Amino acid sequence: MNLLKGYSTIAGMTKPIVVLNDLVKQYNNKQVVKGISFSVNEGEIFGILGPNGAGKTTTLEMLEALRPIDGGSATLDGIDVASNPEKIKSLIGVQPQTPSFEEKTKLTELIEMFSSFYGEKVDPRKFLKEVHLEEKANSYPEQLSGGQRQRFSIAAALVHGPKVFFLDEPTTGLDPQARRNLWDLIREVRDRGVTVIMTTHYMDEAELLCDRVAVMDEGKVIALDTPKNLIKALLKRGFKKSQHVEQANLEDVFIDLTGKALRD
Amino acid sequence: MNMRKSLLPVTTYVRIDVKRLFRDKVAIFFVFLFPLIFLFVFGSIFRGDNDVSFRVALLNESDSTFSKEFSDQIKKNDIFKVDDEVTDLDLAKEKMNRGQIDATIVLPKAFGETKQGQNYPSGEAKIIYDQNNQSAGTTLSSIMEGIFKDINQKLVSTPTPFTVTSESTATKGLSQFDYTFTGILGFTLLSLGIFGPTSVFPRLKQRGVLRRYHLTTLKVWQYFVGNVLSNSFVGLLSVATMFVAALTVFDLNMRGSYLNLIAVVVLGVILLFGIGLAIGGWARTENQAAPLAQIATLPMMFLSGVFFPTFLMPELLQNITKFIPLTPIIDSLRMIVTENASLLDLGPQLAVIFGWIVVIYFVAFKVFRWE
Repeated sequence: MNLLKGYSTIAGMTKPIVVLNDLVKQYNNKQVVKGISFSVNEGEIFGILGPNGAGKTTTLEMLEALRPIDGGSATLDGIDVASNPEKIKSLIGVQPQTPSFEEKTKLTELIEMFSSFYGEKVDPRKFLKEVHLEEKANSYPEQLSGGQRQRFSIAAALVHGPKVFFLDEPTTGLDPQARRNLWDLIREVRDRGVTVIMTTHYMDEAELLCDRVAVMDEGKVIALDTPKNLIKALLKRGFKKSQHVEQANLEDVFIDLTGKALRD
Repeated sequence: MNMRKSLLPVTTYVRIDVKRLFRDKVAIFFVFLFPLIFLFVFGSIFRGDNDVSFRVALLNESDSTFSKEFSDQIKKNDIFKVDDEVTDLDLAKEKMNRGQIDATIVLPKAFGETKQGQNYPSGEAKIIYDQNNQSAGTTLSSIMEGIFKDINQKLVSTPTPFTVTSESTATKGLSQFDYTFTGILGFTLLSLGIFGPTSVFPRLKQRGVLRRYHLTTLKVWQYFVGNVLSNSFVGLLSVATMFVAALTVFDLNMRGSYLNLIAVVVLGVILLFGIGLAIGGWARTENQAAPLAQIATLPMMFLSGVFFPTFLMPELLQNITKFIPLTPIIDSLRMIVTENASLLDLGPQLAVIFGWIVVIYFVAFKVFRWE
């Protein structure tokens, strides 16, 4: 099934779930997102790359119905984002850059609270188990390590069974073990049928994780394809790396020495 | 969305928010201990009954039987607390200077002796007071005059066509503490309602916690109602602890109904928390919120009868004070505690409270920001 999904994405057989059409955002008459158009297919992990200030986060925030859309349109599962912000919010889950929760609140209580915000009652332990935090059920978020907090935050963002999951630089500041663990978690989320849209500054992460990536710069999308095709296209243009490519890099050494097991 | 589904966020939030409070030592201090400390400090100052008493030194230099009986009576009188250590004027002056006693009563030689040609004793008592304590001196003089008037009347009966009697309008048995207590209650609700949210909400915004709530389908009104309910509950608990202390330690005379009291406390929390919510909900940082919180609380603290009664103020100010949010709350609490006022009796006060609630929540909704 997953294999088929991978092929069908490339063949363009699955339906697009998020569609951006000439989307514009401006602050003080200065456009920070300058009419971008692309679509994200159901069930894919879609990466948005670009240097700081390229408009990645602003684009996400418009799709999340957090910022007004100043021009063009965006639809999510066929629903217009600008005119149905409430409906959109029930269809999406969001992982912020730095997850933060109210203190002195047990993880189970936070899960309960977040699901109640969507008008739902859930079994908190089930959600904690999915992110391997069942032993921390009675801990407070301030007692978790960085990686654990990221994992918990993902569980909290998915309590209402969203169709699209947004992650803004999810692995910034994590150690290599926690990063790998988070990649596995993101793949698991996708395998449950949730479409993932994420931003990142780590190219290795995008290459490994994303089915397709959009590269943004100065408010525009300047490239969009699978990582493989983008690399191929670059090589076709005659690009040669000045360095000899090793069969392993320092990160491989690090993981080989310290193992893949989580350290938190 | 049906009613039950839209109330689920509210009930869940309230339940967890209250639990959270009991895990937070700082919050427990401010909600329970701080008001109690406040209560004990002010309670001890205004403790006991409303009788005025003077600490005096009594110097009896006369040997007459009248003067001896007179000194015994003064010692028995509740108005006077006679300092027995003082036996000469020098020590008395020193103690007055230090404020340890209010005044000195001197019964000079020959005081109370029967002069030749008279069939009754006579004399002139002297009251000496420090210039810093003039009010005690004059009050004491008039009290002594009153005592002598009674004695004179018995010794030499003369007709007295005009007399004056004074009567306190307060119900008998009320102590100064009963009045002070409601002011302290008001102050507690004020600090709970304003200092809490004006520091908590900006902090939650800066940490991105409220932004995260905003990403869900939680609505502003649900978040408001949840916070108002949990804070009302906490406010009631805080008031209840103070009541227990007041009833057991300070012999508070609670004359009114506890149901009415609960109603006014809840309305008070709703109103005062609304002010905190408007400020804390608008401010992005604590630095923005702090001065506004001060501006809002200071006039209430000094003009609403927390520390001194509003009737002592000039009339113009009194007319303004009536409409300051905390005044009708304290007045209502006071009228329930001391006069057993019904909610109907409190009509004017409740009207002002409701008016403010409408205004403040309208503003709070308008200016609220999630980040």
